[in-house]
Amino acid sequence: MPDADLNVPSTPHELEAESFYAGAYSRIVRLMVVVAAVATVGILARWGSRVGLGFALGCGIAGVNFMWIKRSVNAFADRIVKADTDKPAGGSATSFALRFGLLGAVGYVIFMSSIVSLSGLLAGLFLPVAAILLEAMYETYVALRRGL
Amino acid sequence: MRKLSILMMVGMAMLLLATPAFAQGNAPATTNAYPFGYALAMAIASGLCALGQGKATAAATEALARNPGARAGIQFALILGLALIESLALYTLVIIFAK
Repeated sequence: MPDADLNVPSTPHELEAESFYAGAYSRIVRLMVVVAAVATVGILARWGSRVGLGFALGCGIAGVNFMWIKRSVNAFADRIVKADTDKPAGGSATSFALRFGLLGAVGYVIFMSSIVSLSGLLAGLFLPVAAILLEAMYETYVALRRGL
Repeated sequence: MRKLSILMMVGMAMLLLATPAFAQGNAPATTNAYPFGYALAMAIASGLCALGQGKATAAATEALARNPGARAGIQFALILGLALIESLALYTLVIIFAK
């Protein structure tokens, strides 16, 4: 029985697949930027500035939220993999909890002041979901087309 | 006996399909039940999402501890999982505001 690691890609085809799937996170971030820009312009043109601004604000919060999730997950993974680290995990845990505080505070201010549309804000919060769905569709297309 | 059971089944089917009379009733009394329902819906959604996130994080932690070499893939799956689970609570929030 050979003791070679079965998870390590060896053929060029496997290496190509590995590099393609490794770039998924950066593609999702790029997709979020593109979807936010395109959808904000469309909403501004269709429903006016109040809804458009709400949507842009929602996209901003969703983007910050997504970045904070990544940072927190990175910190947790560091703690697990490097068990002897002396760095305290309080900062990442605080930012993980602060995300909900930020969301609640912005929603409350908008709800009370009616400066921008709350519906637009709520729609903007779904930006990561839209980007992930688009990435899933792209990966399915590439898998079927190139057999990765 | 067989005929009787068939007749009973047909009768039950007709009762299920029967349309009640559309008579006008009294005006519904105003209640304060909606905010309670919204709060309950949000509480259930948040609680279940928290359970889901906890299970996802626990599974990812275990997988990372067993196989630190697969960190990139596990981390990416966890990020996507957490983002998608959070969106489920957002769906409830949207439904509450849309109602």
